[in-house]
Amino acid sequence: MSFGPPSPRSPLLLALVFSPALLADDLFLDSETLPQVLTATRLKQSPAAVPGSMTVIDSELINASGARDISELLRLVPGMMVGNITGNQPAVNYHGTNASEARRMQVLIDGRSVYRAGLATVDWSDIPVAMEDIERIEVFRGPNTVSYGANALMAVVNIITRNPADSHGTRLKVTQGQRGINDFYASQGTGWDGGDLRLSLSGQQDDGFDSDRTGADYRDSRRLNRFNLAVSQTLNDSQSIDWQLNAKDGTNQRPYTYRPVFSGITAAGNNSDVVAKDYAGSLRWNLDINPEHSLYIQGSAQHWDRQQTWRACDAEVSFSPQLTDLWQLSPNYAERLARNMERYTGPGAPAGSPAERALGNQVLDQWRNGARQTLCGDIDQSARESRYDLELQDTLSLSDSLRLVSGMNYRYDRADSETYFNGTLDDTTWRTFGQLEWRASEHWLLQGGAMFEDSKLTGNSLTPRVAVNYLINPRHGLRAVYSEAIRSPDMFENNVNWSYQVTNLRPSAYGQTSARYFVKTRGPGDLDKERMRSRELGYNGYFAELGLAVDVKLFYDEITGMISEPLRNNQYIASNANNSRFSGTETQLDWRLSNADRLRLTYAYVDAKASNPLDQLQTARNSGSAGWLRNWGRGWNSALFYYGDDALNGYRFERLDTRIAKRIGLGKANLELAGVLQQRLDNQPTTFVDNNYDERRVLYFSAELAF
Amino acid sequence: MQPSSRKTPTLGRLLAGLCLAVSGLLCSLPVSAADILLTGAEDSPGVQSFTQALSELRPSDSVRFKLLASLPAPGKLPSDTRLILLDLPSLDWRLQDSQGPATLVLRISRLQARQRLNNLLPSHLSLLWSDPPIERQLRLTRLILPQVRRVGVLYDRHSEFLLKELRLVALPLGLEIVTQRWENTSDSRPLQALLKNSDVLLGLDDPDLYNPKTAKNLLLSSYARQMALIGPNAGFVKAGSLASTYSDQSDWLAILDDLLDQSPASWPRTLYPKHFKVLSNPQVARSLGIEQMDEASVASQLAEGERRP
Repeated sequence: MSFGPPSPRSPLLLALVFSPALLADDLFLDSETLPQVLTATRLKQSPAAVPGSMTVIDSELINASGARDISELLRLVPGMMVGNITGNQPAVNYHGTNASEARRMQVLIDGRSVYRAGLATVDWSDIPVAMEDIERIEVFRGPNTVSYGANALMAVVNIITRNPADSHGTRLKVTQGQRGINDFYASQGTGWDGGDLRLSLSGQQDDGFDSDRTGADYRDSRRLNRFNLAVSQTLNDSQSIDWQLNAKDGTNQRPYTYRPVFSGITAAGNNSDVVAKDYAGSLRWNLDINPEHSLYIQGSAQHWDRQQTWRACDAEVSFSPQLTDLWQLSPNYAERLARNMERYTGPGAPAGSPAERALGNQVLDQWRNGARQTLCGDIDQSARESRYDLELQDTLSLSDSLRLVSGMNYRYDRADSETYFNGTLDDTTWRTFGQLEWRASEHWLLQGGAMFEDSKLTGNSLTPRVAVNYLINPRHGLRAVYSEAIRSPDMFENNVNWSYQVTNLRPSAYGQTSARYFVKTRGPGDLDKERMRSRELGYNGYFAELGLAVDVKLFYDEITGMISEPLRNNQYIASNANNSRFSGTETQLDWRLSNADRLRLTYAYVDAKASNPLDQLQTARNSGSAGWLRNWGRGWNSALFYYGDDALNGYRFERLDTRIAKRIGLGKANLELAGVLQQRLDNQPTTFVDNNYDERRVLYFSAELAF
Repeated sequence: MQPSSRKTPTLGRLLAGLCLAVSGLLCSLPVSAADILLTGAEDSPGVQSFTQALSELRPSDSVRFKLLASLPAPGKLPSDTRLILLDLPSLDWRLQDSQGPATLVLRISRLQARQRLNNLLPSHLSLLWSDPPIERQLRLTRLILPQVRRVGVLYDRHSEFLLKELRLVALPLGLEIVTQRWENTSDSRPLQALLKNSDVLLGLDDPDLYNPKTAKNLLLSSYARQMALIGPNAGFVKAGSLASTYSDQSDWLAILDDLLDQSPASWPRTLYPKHFKVLSNPQVARSLGIEQMDEASVASQLAEGERRP
């Protein structure tokens, strides 16, 4: 029968009959409709395809490090310079700049910026999140204003808290140890049909550093409590909401740092402690329009309350209306006179214009007539800042190889401080951003975007960013990145109107119990943005058979129009006159040697050059970390970490941390007992001369019960 | 698909029928046309297309679908009928009667069989498993993720019986099975605990654990740890699992075609389909930094491995 058609049973015919169009009705493919969960819009790039350098500190590292502070964890990030202003004021900068102010890094908690609205700082110790609630920290090493907005100048620290769905059950933890360490954490997580919740309460206490440069007790302890509530609720197949409430209340001790301007004043206050309260709430609505298109709208409100009232003493003449006028006329002249009153008492006011001399002599007369007497009064340096933020972000997968992320953001910032702003100051910012990812081929990936920002106080700006990744294969990629970023001067730098109304004066000043201190500092009001240009070449690879992940980068960053002047109430003249340049290389290596061992190394070589020497101070030329985590079985785990900076603000830092933990099963519950020993290997102060410990070693223990 | 190819089956059937008739006449060979009866509780486009395809595949046989409700007790059916059951209600119906024709049971998983039959396997039944065989899924895991050692498996009291076999199969492949009981799927702690101790997650075809309600948590939690899920079925791959083996209608038709050629006495008591395909999720693979896989070539490598273990 050679003339017959092909047998109907031939595979070819079968293939033709059961064309893909028929698969929809395939009896043997699961008819149950499953939602597409990992959609094109939800999936992230593989590490080798990321358009920049990224360090992820996962929950295993967080736990093994034994760290009690987010800032301490950042020692695991290559190029991150972690120091301390005081025991309760960590100073964290990526690559460097000024040691006493960390103003150039964006810090986010679940997408909400905690960079303070008015005062251009991140209060690391006051961030209302417990370490135990953190799932991971993603650090984008490099500028990324396109994705994170202005102020994502040098790096972005993205703190991601545990999903409520992953936090079911009860956890109770107590940590106690030397240096007054006394922390607690308690959380309860529960789920219901379509929703999950986690409530956690936590507290932290320690004594900070032990002694200042003179060997006297250093006033920098802290005591704080936090409340966190995180809820996620699925509304239907395509919609969900997440909301959070965070609150933190605590006291940060501050040493009394006021130095009398006038000679012969011996009385002094004893502290300038801060009561720091942080409140935040956020609500996010996620909408999956289809697997290729999703968006979210997130609204958040935050409030920072810093109550800082302390008693200070100086001569009565500090409140002289004539001295105040003289300061307005010529701050230099006024300062020269004020600091040398005794010298000019005989010969009269120093040389200057007739107006200066006339006022100067009136002040000297007052001095001679008793205004040299010591007065003490209350200084109120409190500040209240609020921020309301609304963001829409849309992710659209145009094709298998093209994805567009775009969005808009509106922000309202308000700062209220008698001392800093003589009342209230506010700002509104609009921004819009877009980033396109184009997978040109299996090997080439092109990503580019731009952000446009317009702020009421500082005008508008446009920042571009472009990156090319060459993927040797999906696990190994080379990248070249060029990005520009800006940092808007904050309200403080630009618009400060700094003067002290001192109250409860005893004895009274010129017959008043409340008077204004003669020094008044005003911000220039016309500061421009700082501008950064960053160039980066990098390699990211994962050797699957070895379990080894490697990232290396070379960078060259320039900041121009840099505002370098320290924020001091002493002739603060901010300008955009400075610039700095950072170049060098960074490496990170994460090696899972076996199921039991994990080795992690980071190293950074950073060369800093700055027109203002202060901006070179917080750069360690060589810095890095080494960690070894091991699971010994039978519930025993150990971790050993080394951290080193060859010189941060002139001081070497080397520390070895060991954590040994034992997990004990108690029926359905789990008890983990852990001990952490931190041993300093050098004898230097930490970042600043007043930051000294009596012992180079600290030991603390924790017990955690989970059920 | 071109219009002409749609016509091909009809034309092919006619010609084939003609050919058979001619050959029957010429050679006087006995043509035993079998009566193939498919049944299920519900009719659907899927059932219709399957019945249609089977009848096209076996033009010499009489292939028809009848709703379960319209059928007499199994014992009343002619004994030379080849009965094919398409769902669980029809299995229940078949189980009432130990008499009746030889029966092929389709679309039944190991788990469902255990719940229905409790390890007793009536001799007149041949169970054709719908769940991907564990060994095949493990080999797939081994092939696309050669570096993984610890395979995490969630189970509950219904799927627990599979664990022993799982460990046996994993051993020669050099894989370690890490198991975790998960009875209450609204409590995510067991899942979290398993993710901590595994390199990859293997899904057992247990609808109590893998269903539309748990899919989001399972996939998002494992993805958050950059961990792939293998299986449990093709539907899950579309939802975000990395890959799975599966058998679709064309595979089952080929298998049925083989079986129907044999005498019912030689039908195996249980059978995993030897025809199968591999489905992968390229976007998930890309995001996890895994090479794009050629599904057909992976499937043929697996098939090759099964022929020569």
